[in-house]
Amino acid sequence: MTSIVRSEVNGEARDGIADPRDTLLVYLRDRLGLTGTKEGCSNGNCGTCTVLMNGAPVCACLVLAQEADGARITTIEGVADGNTLHPVQAALIEHGGTQCGFCTPGIVLSAISLLGENLSPDEHEIRHAIAGNICRCTGYDKIVHAIAVAAERMRAPGGTP
Amino acid sequence: MQPFAYERPRRVEDATALLMQRGARVLAGGTDLIAQLKEGRRTASIVVDVKAIPEMVAIARGPDGGWRIGAAASIRALGGHAGLMAEHGALVQSARLIGSLQIQSRATLGGNVCNAAPSADAVPLLVALGATGEIAGPGGRRTLPVEDMAQSPGRVSLAPGEILVSIHLPARGTRSGAYYLRFTPRREMDIAIAGSGVSVTMAADGTIADARIVLASVGPTPVRCRAAEAFLAGRAADDQTIRDAARMAAGEAKPISDTRGSADYRRHLADVLTRRALSAALMDAEQRKAAA
Amino acid sequence: MSDGQATGEPVPATRIIGQRVPRIDGGERVTGRAIYAGDLVRPGLLIGAVKRSPHAHARILAIDTSRALALKGVKAVVTAKDFPTIVPGTIIPFGETGADLWVAATIAMARDTVLWVGQPVAAVAAVDAHVAEEALALIDVTYRALPAVISMADALADGAPALHPQHKAKGFDAGATIPPNAGARTLIERGDTAVALANAAATAEIAVDVDTGHQGYIEPHVCVAEADPQGNVTIWASTQGAHQTESQVAGILGLAQSKLKVVPLEIGGGFGGKITTHVEPLAARLAQIAGRPVKMTMSRAEMLAGGSGPPAGARIRMKVGAERDGRLTAIDGHYLVDTGGIPGTATTLLMQASTACYQTPTIRLEGMDVVTNKPRTEAYRGPGGIQAAFAVEQVMDELSLNLGMDPLAFRRKNAAVTGSVMPVGTPFPSIGLTTILDRVAGHPCWTEPLAAGALPRGRGLALGYWRGTSMTSAAQITISGDGRVAVVMGTVDISGTRTTMAQVAAEQLELEVDDVAVVMGDTKASAYSDAAAGSRVGRTMAAAVVDACQDALAQLRRRAAERLQAPEAGVSYARGVFHATGGALAGSISIGELMRQTLSDGAVIGRGVSTKLPFGVEVGAHVVDVEVDPETGRVEILRYTAFQDVGRALNPTAVEGQMQGSVVQGLGWALTEAIDYGADGRVRNASMLDFRMPTALDVPAIDCVIIETPVPGVPYGLRGVGEMPIVPVAAAVANAVRRAIGVRLTKMPMTPERIVGALAARGTS
Repeated sequence: MTSIVRSEVNGEARDGIADPRDTLLVYLRDRLGLTGTKEGCSNGNCGTCTVLMNGAPVCACLVLAQEADGARITTIEGVADGNTLHPVQAALIEHGGTQCGFCTPGIVLSAISLLGENLSPDEHEIRHAIAGNICRCTGYDKIVHAIAVAAERMRAPGGTP
Repeated sequence: MQPFAYERPRRVEDATALLMQRGARVLAGGTDLIAQLKEGRRTASIVVDVKAIPEMVAIARGPDGGWRIGAAASIRALGGHAGLMAEHGALVQSARLIGSLQIQSRATLGGNVCNAAPSADAVPLLVALGATGEIAGPGGRRTLPVEDMAQSPGRVSLAPGEILVSIHLPARGTRSGAYYLRFTPRREMDIAIAGSGVSVTMAADGTIADARIVLASVGPTPVRCRAAEAFLAGRAADDQTIRDAARMAAGEAKPISDTRGSADYRRHLADVLTRRALSAALMDAEQRKAAA
Repeated sequence: MSDGQATGEPVPATRIIGQRVPRIDGGERVTGRAIYAGDLVRPGLLIGAVKRSPHAHARILAIDTSRALALKGVKAVVTAKDFPTIVPGTIIPFGETGADLWVAATIAMARDTVLWVGQPVAAVAAVDAHVAEEALALIDVTYRALPAVISMADALADGAPALHPQHKAKGFDAGATIPPNAGARTLIERGDTAVALANAAATAEIAVDVDTGHQGYIEPHVCVAEADPQGNVTIWASTQGAHQTESQVAGILGLAQSKLKVVPLEIGGGFGGKITTHVEPLAARLAQIAGRPVKMTMSRAEMLAGGSGPPAGARIRMKVGAERDGRLTAIDGHYLVDTGGIPGTATTLLMQASTACYQTPTIRLEGMDVVTNKPRTEAYRGPGGIQAAFAVEQVMDELSLNLGMDPLAFRRKNAAVTGSVMPVGTPFPSIGLTTILDRVAGHPCWTEPLAAGALPRGRGLALGYWRGTSMTSAAQITISGDGRVAVVMGTVDISGTRTTMAQVAAEQLELEVDDVAVVMGDTKASAYSDAAAGSRVGRTMAAAVVDACQDALAQLRRRAAERLQAPEAGVSYARGVFHATGGALAGSISIGELMRQTLSDGAVIGRGVSTKLPFGVEVGAHVVDVEVDPETGRVEILRYTAFQDVGRALNPTAVEGQMQGSVVQGLGWALTEAIDYGADGRVRNASMLDFRMPTALDVPAIDCVIIETPVPGVPYGLRGVGEMPIVPVAAAVANAVRRAIGVRLTKMPMTPERIVGALAARGTS
């Protein structure tokens, strides 16, 4: 029943075994040990498990592991360069954009997806970009602010990681 | 979840062959299917991922000037297609109401049609714009209006082994406009309590030559409001006409009550949304005429 | 007399308290490295799953687990037979009143009767989730369905089946007719409200219904439990109180607490819903039987449909009266709280909270919890507060309208002040309400006119109050060989406690935040502390850390005096250095040098235990501007400003985060969130699609105004922070909607459909 999934995860070639029923979320967490991606609802309604698949944000709970064969995946573990944080991550810490932290990995990836397409988002565009990520702690305010700060830093010369 | 096998064919014929197997399911974006498999609302013995079939993900203009959209092209891809956006912005925007950005990275027009949810946001305008589906099966290919695809919630007119390959949108006329409006308690990440998709074509004298109104979430399948459409044909698009047509359309709705809304509220929304969508579609037609 | 003057204490100057120190554990959170219980893998890990009741009320006639046990890969199956019987009234320590273990045991596993859809009846542990799921289907449970009461009205109706026939409802007068399914009655009465209302120049009344909500923490309930061959059990938990998890699980399993260790990992939100145990006792028992570690995770659908304890729905009637000049003369309130399947949801706190902001010569508040065939309700951020305020702040608003008074002036006139009589009859401790109202009066959110829009707009004001609790917290600090500090807390960190306590320790020891490490202790490495709940941890843990620091500092001073050969009284301390004057070797020595020289003399352990702190009364006022689409019923929040007296903000960023998060949770329940129970007690919207929590697009920026009126007798004058700001939200919105469209919304959430319905009802009446 199981088969091998070959994909590029966080810039590295990774092979792993998956049951056809395994979602990408289960595969990343249980087979590859990348537990930074969290499960909040398992049905695509909370965005907690957001990862980038071929550059696009997806809910890993609604992708089969087998579908990731040949794909390029970025998880939260692949965002920082070692201990050099991505500007989004740094701004979230500085501006109180993470509380319980459970939604944070998904928020980071949605924000990075936004800033990859638009480095000058207005408040509405930021809110739209993270509307698929439910946060229950922060009320979103400080997350939105942090993403705006990160965008500003990334617009500065040499600011894009 | 019951055990199933996973296949990723590269050709339509291979897909249709696999789909002849008992319990086979098409996997396009998976945003409905995988959730349903998890919840036990559907079962599968074999899941056929069709995203590796080039013609099922392509978006291109057809020889007739219309558009051919692969049934497994993602909503995100639709949004990123400048030509399609320029001509059928209202349709693409209706698809971009589905789920979140994460969902739109995976979800597809074909899935929205074939999942046959009464609330499918992209379907009303597909129907209103006269889209047809190209269906491949063991016996070859056929076409079917999208309007005739949905049979009942979750069921479409596809025989075993058949698959919706692509959706064909006719070329848009110069005096035409379209708009889809839905109502959800949340701005996004929600399901329409009711929706209304309207397309209009204006006559040279400024009257409405042709109008189509299709409602979402107020019946077991998208509801085509033929009485309201007939009422509009040949009339001037004044406020009273718009109001009357919207009320007639709401009268054609066949809503039920469930956790998302009562039948009365849905009918009320159908009226409000149709009035607003009709006005917006007329404005869209005006703008297009002005631009032409 | 303003409250600021009444309490009068100058705010002491601080170096680190009050600074916007970023979360000291932020790095692991933004990189996905923070470890939650679901991330844990242990060798031989099994996956557990729960079989739940499909009936709202039924007798369990038989449970046959043989087919499930025979399935390959199934390692253990448990039912109530695998747990000791616990009778009602089995009290274990928790807070000031203790907790009834029977409640937690009944929530964990039904014994003879199921009381709600989703109550556990059996659990399995298997080699993977697929096998566990298959095994659940092979457990055969024979039920005899019993008549169920889903609504409070059904539960209280004459002839309704009593769900707990043995239950003695307390608080009723002798000879009074006690309705079936009454939990307990509470009465707060001062003066004669009937006479006062009859004589009032103006009155207003309201009856509201609040649907059951949900805390909505994003991390589902999850734990890993492991038992070793000598009977030691370890649970890695997502909990608001490791010590409470320990005492509940030990009690439910009949295990000595010496044999149980609970290790709290990061908690992905709790909001009151992770105090009572759910899967933890089941996982522990399965692990004991299987001899292998077991991970149990609740699915979102399970959580919303009976697996977790939602906050209570309520039905509240109020009537209030005033003199012509606006002075309140009477508050009369009647509160029914839907406790779900087990009695015991206290109504006292919410009754007090609902009226505490107002001075009134007469008051009569009568409350009762009502047992229904729904999940046992649990705490949610200021439990009962938002429900109660939805009634009282609307009826006060209506009274101000009837009086023709400005709603703010009306509230200012009647506001509770320090020393005024509380609903319970005792004088108010320090309360900064009038200061807040004066700030509102001068703030642009109130003074700037609401700009007209295409759709009707309105501005609403509501007050909030939450008493908060003290309970007890313990901390210990140790000093390392380089003079740096480690703080071990007995509480968990659900709101940035590590950071704020690092600030407290750094402030006390005159060091920097980077010199302090703070950890959550497991239950064997930390001393008993009550749960992170009741707006208490910031205050009481701060008090414990202050004591622990002072204890350590005294020990250090002794050592410094010895080293410097100076009398202890002559040793002073500033910024990490001890200075001796008058001794033989006048001089100074840094903490680092002192510890390097004296660590082998023995560890320095500072001990801090706080309990029974003075109330840190939380009050606030919220102002909201809304726009209503009368045709669809959509309410758009245009602007939101929250004012709160926090005594002293340990960390303004953290305080604002609590305020903003609270407001958005409140907006969710106010407008879209409700558990929809069908007539059969089954939940019809058990998903995050249909249980609609606000997204970032549904809410505006939330402006916060922090006011600081310190509480005497509490370190730094701290008040509670986290609960109050959810209390006024729904009422503020309702008052704004009333002013926008002229209709009072009495059902919460105020869904678009209900708003359209209310408008239509007005049109036809």
